[in-house]
Amino acid sequence: MGMTKADRRMDGWADGAALLALLLLSAYPPIRLSAQDTTAGRAVYEKWCAGCHGETGAGDGPAAGTMLPRPRDFTGAIYQIRTTASGQLPTDDDLRLAIDRGLPGTAMPGWKDQLSERDRRDVLAYLKTFSAFFADTTQRPEPLVFGKEPGGGTSVDALRIGRQFYDSIGCRKCHGDRGRGDGPSAPTLKDDAGFPVFAANLTENWRFNGGSEVADIYRRLRSGLDGTPMPSFSDLIDQQFLTEAELWRLAQYVRSLSPARPPEVRDVIHARQVAARLPTSPDDSVWGRVERYWVPLVGQVMRKSRWFTPAASGVWVQAVHDGQQLALRVSWDDRSQSPDSAWLEFTDRVLETVARDDSTPPAPTPWPDQLAVQFPLAIPEGFERPFFLMGAATRPVYQWRWTSTPGGVREDSLSAAVAGLARGIDRFDPLPGTPLSAQAVYDQGEWRVVFSRSLATADTANQLHLRTGRAIPVAFFAWDGSNGETGTRMAVSTWYFLALDTPVRAQVFVSPILAAALALGLGLTLVRRAQRPRSQIRRRSDA
Amino acid sequence: MNGIRAAIRHPFWQALAILVIAFVAIEFGIPVLPDSADVPASVVLQYMVTVLVGVLIYVSDNEQRWTQFREPIRAVLVEPRLTPVRWSLLAAVPALVGWVAYGQVATRVEAPPILRSIHPAPPAEITFRSRPMTLTGLENPLRAVRDSLPDFVGEGKRIYYQNCLPCHGDHLDGQGHFAPGFNPLPANFQDDGTIAQLTESFVFWRIAKGGPGLPREGAPWNSAMPAWEDFLTEREIWAVILFLYEQTGRRPRTWEKTGDGHD
Amino acid sequence: MRKLGMAAAALAGLVAVGVAGRAGDAAQVGGTITGKVKFTGTKPVMRRIDMSEEAACKAKHPTAPTAETVVVNANGTLANVFVYVKAGLPAGYRAPAAPPPVVLDQDGCRYHPHVFGLMVGQTLQIKNSDGILHNIKAKGTKNRPFNISQPTNMTTPRTFSAPEVMVTLECNVHGWMNAYVGVLPHPFSAVSGADGSFTIRGLPPGTYTIEAWHERYGAQTATVTVAGTETKTADFTFAAK
Repeated sequence: MGMTKADRRMDGWADGAALLALLLLSAYPPIRLSAQDTTAGRAVYEKWCAGCHGETGAGDGPAAGTMLPRPRDFTGAIYQIRTTASGQLPTDDDLRLAIDRGLPGTAMPGWKDQLSERDRRDVLAYLKTFSAFFADTTQRPEPLVFGKEPGGGTSVDALRIGRQFYDSIGCRKCHGDRGRGDGPSAPTLKDDAGFPVFAANLTENWRFNGGSEVADIYRRLRSGLDGTPMPSFSDLIDQQFLTEAELWRLAQYVRSLSPARPPEVRDVIHARQVAARLPTSPDDSVWGRVERYWVPLVGQVMRKSRWFTPAASGVWVQAVHDGQQLALRVSWDDRSQSPDSAWLEFTDRVLETVARDDSTPPAPTPWPDQLAVQFPLAIPEGFERPFFLMGAATRPVYQWRWTSTPGGVREDSLSAAVAGLARGIDRFDPLPGTPLSAQAVYDQGEWRVVFSRSLATADTANQLHLRTGRAIPVAFFAWDGSNGETGTRMAVSTWYFLALDTPVRAQVFVSPILAAALALGLGLTLVRRAQRPRSQIRRRSDA
Repeated sequence: MNGIRAAIRHPFWQALAILVIAFVAIEFGIPVLPDSADVPASVVLQYMVTVLVGVLIYVSDNEQRWTQFREPIRAVLVEPRLTPVRWSLLAAVPALVGWVAYGQVATRVEAPPILRSIHPAPPAEITFRSRPMTLTGLENPLRAVRDSLPDFVGEGKRIYYQNCLPCHGDHLDGQGHFAPGFNPLPANFQDDGTIAQLTESFVFWRIAKGGPGLPREGAPWNSAMPAWEDFLTEREIWAVILFLYEQTGRRPRTWEKTGDGHD
Repeated sequence: MRKLGMAAAALAGLVAVGVAGRAGDAAQVGGTITGKVKFTGTKPVMRRIDMSEEAACKAKHPTAPTAETVVVNANGTLANVFVYVKAGLPAGYRAPAAPPPVVLDQDGCRYHPHVFGLMVGQTLQIKNSDGILHNIKAKGTKNRPFNISQPTNMTTPRTFSAPEVMVTLECNVHGWMNAYVGVLPHPFSAVSGADGSFTIRGLPPGTYTIEAWHERYGAQTATVTVAGTETKTADFTFAAK
């Protein structure tokens, strides 16, 4: 405009100086600059975060309805995973860690490898602008002092002390006696916004939002999970109800409820052949010696009406056979023994909260729990298989279906299953006179169902002839009635394989022994030959 | 120190070092390179045999080197002070041979290999919601309305987050929270090998028809990709395609350049 | 010694709450606003609370307890209405510096009181008389939340830092337990009692906006002018919905 050349030159010079200052500032100290300038953070936020957390940070982006727990609402500055006391703001490090690592067990991924360090820092500064609480710089959130984990955390004594406090501070009220999130208060739990909340299943530590290890668990006990029913237990230390060491023991006990490592997903479920009688009861001691395989389940999101928030995260599968019969045990965690009217309000809240394809929410009903085990009609010769999601009208699949209340509540209601053909997701035709039997037990938040069937079948047109030594495609489906699951609203797996192994035949050892003997013979010959000429040479020179 | 220096010059230890370095590079080096995966065992074996042949040619190329190379081998076979090593090898090698042979004979049932064409040839024409639609030469019609492009991208973003996120993920990298439950894994749109090398008409076909619309070589029975024509309108699918390219910063393959939608 | 002090404080708090929010000194000079909260329409049926999971609590209730959302008194008035000075205090007004603590008692798996007023910075003694696990979760928008655990008979102090009507208190172990605390920058509040009446004392002269708040029926306001030591009446009427 009215700028002279000199002005412009000055301006250019000033620009350069500003740039230099900017560079210096951005190099040191790193946080200051981004905390003041949030436009960069806003761009990152709107591109990568707003889809779930919403443009205004209220946790109401377009994807929010497909998630339980819902995305964090930043406007209240209430954060679950912190190192600060209950009700305190999180530290920048707390927020950074959540962004970098994500929150396991939720839809929040880690962004460490996806966004640059600068982007993550900027977005952190920006999301703090959503709440006035962060603007009050006189309140500097201070992390709690956590101390060090006492040793011997896996010893019987440590776990006994931990368990004692698990009982005395009432963990079982929500988390249940065995920690499967099935406590008496579990059906009433809501978060601050009124959305349904599950008490964490303490046997699946790989899904703990704040991390899976003892120190993570201890921190959650001290800080509580703000915005959820999980309180802080720090006051109990101040009031000498328990000591820090005892709270650490509790954390160690909680850790001990989960396997040492998260379950590995393997393609093939091996069924050993046993000489003894097959276990047909879900609590037969034989099952304790049978290897178990983890099959992850996810929501059915292919066909209407889709289901985004299945209750079961997977099933454990075990199988044995005796050459005549197969016994297959499926165990999975379920926080309710559906149908249970105590859970009806919870069911209603879940159906109200989660996005759906129907225009009106389905009326909550005390639906039963269900499980389906799926096979093709015959073991495929090529690599072609029926459609994993319950086959198709033209190409059905063979299924075993178990329901917690077949035809209403009966005394023997836990012992019935039916085989049949699924012709797509919405059609199941039971086969009359099936040789399938099943026994089920619900125990402290876990279903254990044993299916038994003879390997051979007279009805080879419809029922799978189970053969040994073959990779038999198998898939699993689970419904938790109290979570609003029925029909197409279910948890699904992809195709896995079941292999009925046979004992190793003696002939199998012949060739390895022969090969080893041959190798040894060759080796000895080689040594002999290598040694001979030299000794001959030596003898000759001696002479 | 001198021992180490001598060993570095010695052809036997050189050969051994080359083999070890080659193995480490193939087994652990290649997988960490961008856009690569673990090398299958059979390929590792092939590479190692090649390296071994090269090494043997090198050591036998000159008479003196060959003699020098054989020296440690000979020592192990002959020297009395190396008797323990000799006997250990005589025990270990046959045991290894026996174990490998056992592995060959006593086969455990394994999952059959997945033979799947990732980008199968698209049909020239499809039926979209019972209306015929020609894919060959088809462009994203929304790109023609330049002024409204940001709105379309915004619409596509909303649709993506409401529908695609559980599998394809927040970062469009196929790592949504449902992804571990499926096999094959959901497509990674950030990868060079997906939307970046496809025309928008191909992407439209894959979205509209999903897993069930795959030809046999695409293993339609395993894909969890829904047939989105059951959920979305034609315009919504084009909008979400715009979003995929916009969000990943990729460009679709165009008909002018290739005249074809696939490899 | 500390225990004794705590008990004394608790006692003082009980007294303070017992006289329904008469947080100021009774002898303090000033105006008074009193009134009744009437209720019209059909009294809603409150749902029964099943305490069978907690035998200790169940034993404390001779008759089956019901939800406390709407408590209509025998004389047709409405209890648990929080009446407070919303606006109108003179500019130079100074609140009493250290009001005695208020006790919130968890007894029979119920909060006592169910609705009450508290000043910013005034101590709330949260007491567990049940000897079973309660957690106390405070939810507000102007105050930071808290969620603490009381697995046994114990008392935990807490304060609030910002005026807010209402902060919700709830127990997640017992989904039916909730209470409402009106956090104010002054002591002028009262809660309608078993006869539906309320009294706010010790007001400096002025024209006040008085709000009556009920957890189901919402809020109503009235304007009242008091001078000297006079007593003015302000009645409210809530209709069934």
